[in-house]
Amino acid sequence: MKRRQVLAAGCACCASMIAPRTWAQTTPDYSAPQRFQRPDIASDEGGLWAMMDREEKALRRSPLVLRDARLTGYVQDLACRLGDGHCPDIRIFLVRTPLFNASMAPNGMMQIWTGLLLRMENEAQLAAVIGHEIGHYLQRHSVDRLRDIKAKAAASQVLALFGLAGAIGQFAVMASTFAYGRDHEHEADRIGAYLMHRAGYQVAESAVVWNNLLDETRAREGNETSETSPLFATHPAPPERRDNLARLAELLPGGTAGKDPFAAHTAHLIDEWLQDEIKRGQYAESLVLLSRRIKTGSNPKLMQYYRGEVHRLRGQTGDHDRALDDYQAAVAGDQPPPPAFRGIGLVARQRGQKQDARQAFARYLDLAPDAPDSALIKSYLAELDS
Amino acid sequence: MKNLLVLAIALLLTACASVKKVESGANLVGERMSINVDGNWNHFDFPGSKPAQVWTMEGITIDELLVYSGIRDGQVMHQESSAGSRQKDFAFRKTMQTEEIVSMLEGVLSRDGSTFKLLKLEPFAFGGKKGFRFEYERIRKIDNVQMRGVGFGAVDKEELFALVYQAPRLTFFPRHQSRIETIAKAVSIQ
Repeated sequence: MKRRQVLAAGCACCASMIAPRTWAQTTPDYSAPQRFQRPDIASDEGGLWAMMDREEKALRRSPLVLRDARLTGYVQDLACRLGDGHCPDIRIFLVRTPLFNASMAPNGMMQIWTGLLLRMENEAQLAAVIGHEIGHYLQRHSVDRLRDIKAKAAASQVLALFGLAGAIGQFAVMASTFAYGRDHEHEADRIGAYLMHRAGYQVAESAVVWNNLLDETRAREGNETSETSPLFATHPAPPERRDNLARLAELLPGGTAGKDPFAAHTAHLIDEWLQDEIKRGQYAESLVLLSRRIKTGSNPKLMQYYRGEVHRLRGQTGDHDRALDDYQAAVAGDQPPPPAFRGIGLVARQRGQKQDARQAFARYLDLAPDAPDSALIKSYLAELDS
Repeated sequence: MKNLLVLAIALLLTACASVKKVESGANLVGERMSINVDGNWNHFDFPGSKPAQVWTMEGITIDELLVYSGIRDGQVMHQESSAGSRQKDFAFRKTMQTEEIVSMLEGVLSRDGSTFKLLKLEPFAFGGKKGFRFEYERIRKIDNVQMRGVGFGAVDKEELFALVYQAPRLTFFPRHQSRIETIAKAVSIQ
């Protein structure tokens, strides 16, 4: 990296440190650095790149990476529109993990987890997250983070365990995936908003992302922060970030949300992502997410079926009634989700409502004769008939 | 990096774990479940393994047989989250139907970010009780290994008894599946 670029990055970082209160009060502007050259392997940054290259090689083979060329290409194109000339260096990996997270390594590898994609309502919201990560990348925050971590004392224990090579690896992972500092986050938010605006997206949607996440965390335990989302576990309080982004949106008006293109590229995967979401057992969060999606009218039958599932599995007082209401709404009209009939049958069976259970189970098997649990449901029918 | 992570976990587990041979023949687990085994099984006891007993034939990073015996109403199915953690625990409820128990086990097995896909769920007489059997696929998050698994369970006197076996799908699972099925058929619950 050239000295001028180091100075530029340093100045930008310093600027954000001395002016955290004003960054959202003036019209943001940003000039990205030139594309990065691969650093000398002997340098700490070169070591970081090498480790990330190895991570990327492993990630390419991972069965957790979505092999959906259309969706991956769509997200890659979106990143390119935001990337400010760095498009050739950005490589997108969509990873099947039901948590809200995205990260970008200094070598250009960006991971986006499906738990995050599930929570996006439109293209602009996804652009907000990707723009934020590109902001970290352009300002080389992970390198700053690496140097910061290296300067701290915990290294000796890691060295003892893994030796030098292992220690570099640990640092690399920590630097690329764990929380940045307050100023880095503010700076990435600001750059991300600017990149969004320039690419033609509504900056206000970035505040919506944070607001939606806040709703979920509040529902869980009445708390404001989350441990389950590495993106969320950052120093600036989420409400502060949401409010700052909302102020930025006023300075950067206009743009589109892009709801339809996003839905068109993700609709076929929503069912699988919702199955993964429910397996987390974070029922309060899932209920907020599903209720929001029902309200916004995106695939409401499927959302109502899954909300019914959450209520049934949670099993608190009144949950079976709520589950039944959702299942009934899901099966009304055309193309009901077959498992909603199973849900009706399970609740009815538990309540001793044999006729209702029998009808619902029979309908489920009609619609999904090869369902994984068909043998068990058949045994229930035999039991109800006996 | 993931190999290093797996190695590190193996080292840490080895440092604070105890391993003892599971004797061939009948083994009483808990107060009421008896499991009849043959072959070279080891009981791997480490912090965080309870309330399950973890048995293995090939080694703890390869295959595992989770043995749940006498899980009571409200009991958490894994090491409880630390104080202050907001990750939800999965607990057994005596009123759970079969689907809810399997969903709970799905949650336990995907708690680390692994994926879980149910392949089959059917009735099964487990320990002489009316129970269930299920098969699944899982991609283990920590090392991306594609696993296959089979589980068995029943609720008796408001307590849960279950066996869950999983191993890499290509070699180890097919090698041991019939042995596991034999073990499950021979379980007795007193």
